[in-house]
Amino acid sequence: MASIAAPKRSPLSEALKGVRHAASDYGSIWSWIATVDHKRIGVLYGVSAFIFFVVGGIEALLLRVQLSQPDANILDPDAFNRLFTMHGTTMVFLVIMPMSSAFFNLMVPLMIGARDVAFPRLNAFSYWTFLAGAIFLNASFFTGDILNGELGAPDGGWFGYAPLNLPEFTGGHGMDFWMLGLQMFGIASLAGGFNFIVTILNMRAPGMTLFRMPVFVWMTLVTSFLVIFAMPVIAVALFELTFDRLFEANFFSAEAGGNPLLWQHMFWLFGHPEVYILILPAFGIISEILPTFSRKPLFGYAFVVFSGVAIGFMSWGVWVHHMYTTGLGTVANSAFGVTTILIAVPTGVKIFNWMGTLWGGSIRFRAPLMFAVGTVAMFTIGGLSGVMHSMVPSDFQQQDSYFVVAHFHYVLFGGAIFALFGGIYYWFPKFTGKLMNEPLGHLNFWLMLLGFNLTFFPMHVSGLLGMPRRIYTYNGEMGWDLWNLMSSVGAFFIAASVLVFLVNFFYSLRRGKESGPDPWDARTLEWSIPSPPPEYNFKEIPTVNSRDHFWSTKYHEDETGHVVPILAGGAVETAEPEPEPAEDDAHGHGIHLPSPSYMPLIASIGFPVVATGLIYDYALVPVGFALILIGFFGWAMEPATEEE
Amino acid sequence: MKRPFTGFPPRLRRLIPAFILVGLLALFLSGCDTDTPQNTFDTKGEVAKKQADIFFLAMWPAIAVMILVLGGLVVIMLRFRETDPQHIPPQVHGNTRLELAWTIAPAILLLAIGIPMVATIYDLGREPSEDAFRVDVIAQRFSWEFQYPEYTDEDGTPLSVFDQEGFHIPAGREVAFYLESVDVIHSFWLPKLGGKLDIVPGQTRVLWLRADEPGSFSGQCAEFCGLNHADMRMTVIAQPQAELDAWAAEMLQ
Repeated sequence: MASIAAPKRSPLSEALKGVRHAASDYGSIWSWIATVDHKRIGVLYGVSAFIFFVVGGIEALLLRVQLSQPDANILDPDAFNRLFTMHGTTMVFLVIMPMSSAFFNLMVPLMIGARDVAFPRLNAFSYWTFLAGAIFLNASFFTGDILNGELGAPDGGWFGYAPLNLPEFTGGHGMDFWMLGLQMFGIASLAGGFNFIVTILNMRAPGMTLFRMPVFVWMTLVTSFLVIFAMPVIAVALFELTFDRLFEANFFSAEAGGNPLLWQHMFWLFGHPEVYILILPAFGIISEILPTFSRKPLFGYAFVVFSGVAIGFMSWGVWVHHMYTTGLGTVANSAFGVTTILIAVPTGVKIFNWMGTLWGGSIRFRAPLMFAVGTVAMFTIGGLSGVMHSMVPSDFQQQDSYFVVAHFHYVLFGGAIFALFGGIYYWFPKFTGKLMNEPLGHLNFWLMLLGFNLTFFPMHVSGLLGMPRRIYTYNGEMGWDLWNLMSSVGAFFIAASVLVFLVNFFYSLRRGKESGPDPWDARTLEWSIPSPPPEYNFKEIPTVNSRDHFWSTKYHEDETGHVVPILAGGAVETAEPEPEPAEDDAHGHGIHLPSPSYMPLIASIGFPVVATGLIYDYALVPVGFALILIGFFGWAMEPATEEE
Repeated sequence: MKRPFTGFPPRLRRLIPAFILVGLLALFLSGCDTDTPQNTFDTKGEVAKKQADIFFLAMWPAIAVMILVLGGLVVIMLRFRETDPQHIPPQVHGNTRLELAWTIAPAILLLAIGIPMVATIYDLGREPSEDAFRVDVIAQRFSWEFQYPEYTDEDGTPLSVFDQEGFHIPAGREVAFYLESVDVIHSFWLPKLGGKLDIVPGQTRVLWLRADEPGSFSGQCAEFCGLNHADMRMTVIAQPQAELDAWAAEMLQ
């Protein structure tokens, strides 16, 4: 490798060599900043997403406090509007998507038997661009007169409908931060999407055919394809909005001949696949957890995989169900009504197959399983209210009411967030070598399940009693007070459960029991290597002979047809030698890992600089672009692997 | 490996999910007969009634499936919980016939409820009838204005009414609302009479509703329209045609 890079040594890379060496010290903070290791990037994604989960949660608590009683005055309407806009945007773009990315990063290479993703530096670039966008978006809070209690955040809703998203209606810079921040998340997601498609298609271990891949990897693949097709759609919409807001173009202003509904079509043509971008990784996670804890293979692997692919395709043909009440007419509403009820079919298949996985198993009630089963149950409720929404005539009543709020929280919190928590409990031992505390895990689960249902189930009722979304207050005579009070109380139970989780997390990090490489007696490749995995993951790239290959190295059927362990203690040995101090072994084995690089970070920092320039002073725009170019140029020029 | 919650009496432990489910269902159903101003089940007109019918058409199968799945999960969890940590169950990989069944059966069920759905879409999606009473609704942040082309003053200017004066419509007669917005998207919603329709600036949308009996109906803007969206409320009074005419004559004075 060194010989390839040696002949053309640019002065730039020469100058940066010292800095890069600092980053090679695996313990230093610089090694995190310059890391291109998929596991570290995964951790960065996860920690960042969790911080924003807490931020978005606090926003939700404030909203719930304001709505806990009629005619409350805790938040003024302006603050309320900004907070719900930020809550939605945060939870979708800064929590569920990056948390899923965290799992893609942590798990995909380990599950397919690879040493890293296909483009490690592009991976770092994804993360830093996401973080830059996230900080940029949240910085908007401080653009208001915050000392006098005026927040500066966006106030047009996470969906930013036109023409409300134009400066004449949403003044200040909040919506500018929103549209430019979203653009950055798009860039980050696109880079990640391409990266994982290439990784999954090209970097699987020998013998790991597509139909031997763990379902989580399949769902990552489908999600990544959705990302690369959906993100450009919202990018175009956001570019048009940028022209409208900054340069007085007329894409969306009805007054000037533009079409406000154009925005909705583009937003939901992105937005509905986006829903599946949020939920498919969760489906993947529970498709790993359920087999492990029932000690059976996934029931109907092919059905689960193909239903995931079918959902991916069908998600492009249902966006108008967000727009039934915009007056598109009977034919459009009928057609999209039917496609929408039919998307419940592949989703239902998954639910039944998960139940089939548990059926006949030997179910261990450990925290990951509790969250996975909770996901199946809660997502079922959300899916069914989704079918009810697909029914056009009754949706005319439900649209933009709290019934919708209940529905999508059952899907995105009951579905995605529960599964993501399950994933954390499941894979925590793999990356820390410690088990998370079980009793605290169960407390976490039951508190969250109780709080979640107490918060969101009453919203079905308040919605059907005619309570619209996004109202900062309501009249006491409307009969909504009891249901809202319940929701508000429930929200604090959820907060308590998250607190329990944090206590468990930090306690287990310090004091957790040693987990060993395979604490759950699991089925997939990541459990065949030590916990935490060495920098290079696999000392030798495994050869895969079957689906659940790792399991087949541990168990086989005896003559009577019973499943028995192959040999006491033989399991881990056949898969991988016992964990041993391997840090410096790496070079001895000739495993070359990509060198750390600051270039992705430099490029990423350029984006918020450009965006700030667009809002406040065009002089900053070329500075930002220069940073991006320097980052890309340095990235292209520096050697992929450090010379030794 | 110790099972969790060994501290709880086993019987109680088993019943926890059942308690939650029954409690929530009771709660949910109790919402249906509450007499509140914007209750979508307390239907007072043809449109709302037909929409509620479709709601129940979807709701009952949904509740049945919910009980099936959630109940099934509880049964599975109890029946197949680990008893012997050494026991490895048979490694069943699937059952194609069963899986085909639970692919096809829901598809049939869904298409079955889809047929009356489409029928109702066309039923309610028709143009307003010839003799419908026309009201022009002008939405602006954050108030409503009703104009009555049927009632004009000497100059031919239609009667125009704002929030504080109270909106009136005929009872027992179809009303065609011609919806226009002067600024952003709003949504016109009178829950007891029927579902909402968005009002997109630059376009005129027509929504027909009918109040079967005289009465007072509460409604509000259902599409987020900015700062005081929550205050964009209205009350519409349905009254017999003669009373309506008298009211209009008085207003025109």
